[in-house]
Amino acid sequence: MADKTLKKEDLGKLVDSVRAKGGRFVAPTLLARQVVFRSVKSAEEVATDYILARNSFKEFLFPQTEVIAEFSMSKDSVGLKGVEVNAPETVVFGARPCEAASLKGLRALFTWDFVDEFYTKREDRTVVITVGCTSGDEACFCTTVDLSPESTEGSDVYLRETEDNGYAVTGLTEKGKKFLDTHAAVFTSGAAKEKPLFMPEKLPAIDLKRISERLKDTAHYDDPVWAKLTMKCIGCGACTFVCPTCRCFDITDEGTAFEGERRKNWDSCQYDSFTLHASGHNPREHQPQRWRNRFMCKFNFYPEKFSSKGCVGCGRCIRVCPVRLDITEVMEEFSK
Amino acid sequence: MENILRQKAKELLASGEVKVVIGYGWNRAKTRTTPVFITDAADTGQLVWNPLCVNNLSVYLTRKFKDIQALGKPAIVAKGCDIRNIAVLISEAQIKREDVYVIGMACQGVVYKQELWQGELKPNIMPTKCHNCDVRNPHLSDFVVGGKVDFTPPEEPAGMVFDKIRDLDSKSPSERWAFWVKEFSRCIKCYACRQVCSLCYCERCITEKNMPQWIETSAHPRGNLSWNLIRAMHLTGRCTFCGECERACPVNIPLNLVNQKMIMVVKDAFDFKSGYDEKVHPPMIVFSPDDKENFIK
Repeated sequence: MADKTLKKEDLGKLVDSVRAKGGRFVAPTLLARQVVFRSVKSAEEVATDYILARNSFKEFLFPQTEVIAEFSMSKDSVGLKGVEVNAPETVVFGARPCEAASLKGLRALFTWDFVDEFYTKREDRTVVITVGCTSGDEACFCTTVDLSPESTEGSDVYLRETEDNGYAVTGLTEKGKKFLDTHAAVFTSGAAKEKPLFMPEKLPAIDLKRISERLKDTAHYDDPVWAKLTMKCIGCGACTFVCPTCRCFDITDEGTAFEGERRKNWDSCQYDSFTLHASGHNPREHQPQRWRNRFMCKFNFYPEKFSSKGCVGCGRCIRVCPVRLDITEVMEEFSK
Repeated sequence: MENILRQKAKELLASGEVKVVIGYGWNRAKTRTTPVFITDAADTGQLVWNPLCVNNLSVYLTRKFKDIQALGKPAIVAKGCDIRNIAVLISEAQIKREDVYVIGMACQGVVYKQELWQGELKPNIMPTKCHNCDVRNPHLSDFVVGGKVDFTPPEEPAGMVFDKIRDLDSKSPSERWAFWVKEFSRCIKCYACRQVCSLCYCERCITEKNMPQWIETSAHPRGNLSWNLIRAMHLTGRCTFCGECERACPVNIPLNLVNQKMIMVVKDAFDFKSGYDEKVHPPMIVFSPDDKENFIK
């Protein structure tokens, strides 16, 4: 239970306190007519009126593009140099409980057969402060995937907005408690009346267990329902880029023939080149097959392989989809 | 209008004249429209028509969508602005006129983004293209749904996009450069702009050509500039200002500014606006000895 409070007017002190210790303070800010996570320098930049940021904070743990090695070639030598992970101490403030729940799956993936320090070192040095949702929209469906605005999975510190315009603060993990101790001067003791949370309605026709059963049976591969539901998908990949659990990447070399950088860039299973083989064969040649893979990843591969959620119900994919392809409609179909 | 549309779609499917009707339907909550592909005359009741029908469905006529092409001859529900893209696709030999049945929709305008809709179409939620629309009574259609729309576009194009272009034009080249570097810095290289565009129909985009790698795929300032500027150049003289790229952009890059500016350049240099006549080729693919060359500075 909350035993500390953070006054909204003291948020600036928290930003200063984190930055004074060399840390990076990431929070939702208004940019180009929407709220996005960015590194901020002052509390004035922090947006308060938002459902959730358009982008996932995953980009601060798993950047969209990063150099992982440098290479050079000359007449008689080849140089290959690894790059040290740039992992600043980071505080993510104002995440929502849904997206925080994605961290378990990300960690599982990046430590599965190889420990990818570019991710793990960053996550180790990140404190996630979530704020329980007091508003939502029709795209929110966290309760349908067994999460809620009260979920604490993935959060180090959990905040609830209070009636007196502050936050009730609960330290959850060791990392979170240590953070509260480090910046103890910013917080005050005591409790305040909490604002009611926004609880999205659990979609009654969706049954996660049934979806999982159907996806385990490979007979669904040829189900004509994929084409029916996903033929409109234009393969833009915007859903995967804003998704907090999607974490596919590609390795590419950029530069000249003589020197350059090896980069790790986000990739998307929705692109036709994602599975294109060097032979020219593409096992997922059609968009509905690519969409099926995305759905399988979220509701079969992640839960089966990593015992974690592939979908946290944040609804970002629904909001950004230019053709309004709603994943919950596919979930409903596969609950039958 | 909806009933006439449904009736027409039913006739077309029942007679076998078309195999699929590409149109708009409701999402589950009936709060947003979404593209639908009707192949059975019994399902035409799913078709809807309202100011939320913002998508330019002509993208589904392109070879990017082999599954849809495999269904057979399509009928497409199209606003005048969407028909302009169909005209470009015909002029660029992507589809034959006789291979598509165009159901033109007389249009009073649509919303810029569906989430702005609160039950009433007001000018402030309409895109700039609607304020200057000269095709509200659709051209190039096989059948038109709706009566004649009484709307005359202003003599001088008006709206936010044009205001911003004037503002940018008044700046120095280095200020303009700085503006675009900043705007493109947000690009996340999702390629939604390309995928939603019916005139970006290449099966293999230049960004996917990696032997050699023509464009850096990394979402860093250099890669972002390369991508966005090359895309703008590829659309020059072809873009109809349908606005889908900007609508689809998840990070709100003002792509309408780039594309409308290029439209103005082409209008000035070649006296050409794309999408009105399917028999005329875009200026960038034809040579005319009468072309002015004073735009090359």
